[in-house]
Amino acid sequence: MDQLVGFGLVAFSLLLFVYYTIWIIILPFIDSDHGIHKFFLPREYSVTIPVIAGLLLVLFVGVFVVIVMWKNRKPAKKSD
Amino acid sequence: MTKLVQWLCGLALLGTGWATLALDPLGLHLPLPCRQVLWPFPVYLLVAFGCYSLATIGYRLATFNDCEAAAKELQEQIREARADLSRLGLKF
Repeated sequence: MDQLVGFGLVAFSLLLFVYYTIWIIILPFIDSDHGIHKFFLPREYSVTIPVIAGLLLVLFVGVFVVIVMWKNRKPAKKSD
Repeated sequence: MTKLVQWLCGLALLGTGWATLALDPLGLHLPLPCRQVLWPFPVYLLVAFGCYSLATIGYRLATFNDCEAAAKELQEQIREARADLSRLGLKF
């Protein structure tokens, strides 16, 4: 089970890396009437999508931290 | 010089290099495909680093072996500790 998840992660990150590399580095050198451009979004998205994904990640981490700290707050002692 | 300062200097150097080439203050015009590659380059490096970290985590997760003997020994020690402590009066 662990191996499945592990190798799945490796395959996913490899796929992502290859797609992104082709998008950023190789596509500008290919003429715009080649068919391969159909598979790739317009170039502006190659910056906006990672930036938004990064912001979402930071948001989730922040929300997680807030939730954990909220659950662990102790009520102030009233008795003595 | 601390490691942090070293890293920051390196980043600043790379950043200035990228800015000089991309924002073109000197007026030397690179060919268009090169500029198109250069613009998202910092984001590309970040994404590449993220992919590398993900792949490393996945690979280590997949190749981590179970340690049967250590697990058994740990369970044994837990049992002994429980017996010990309940003898001394701690309630579970």
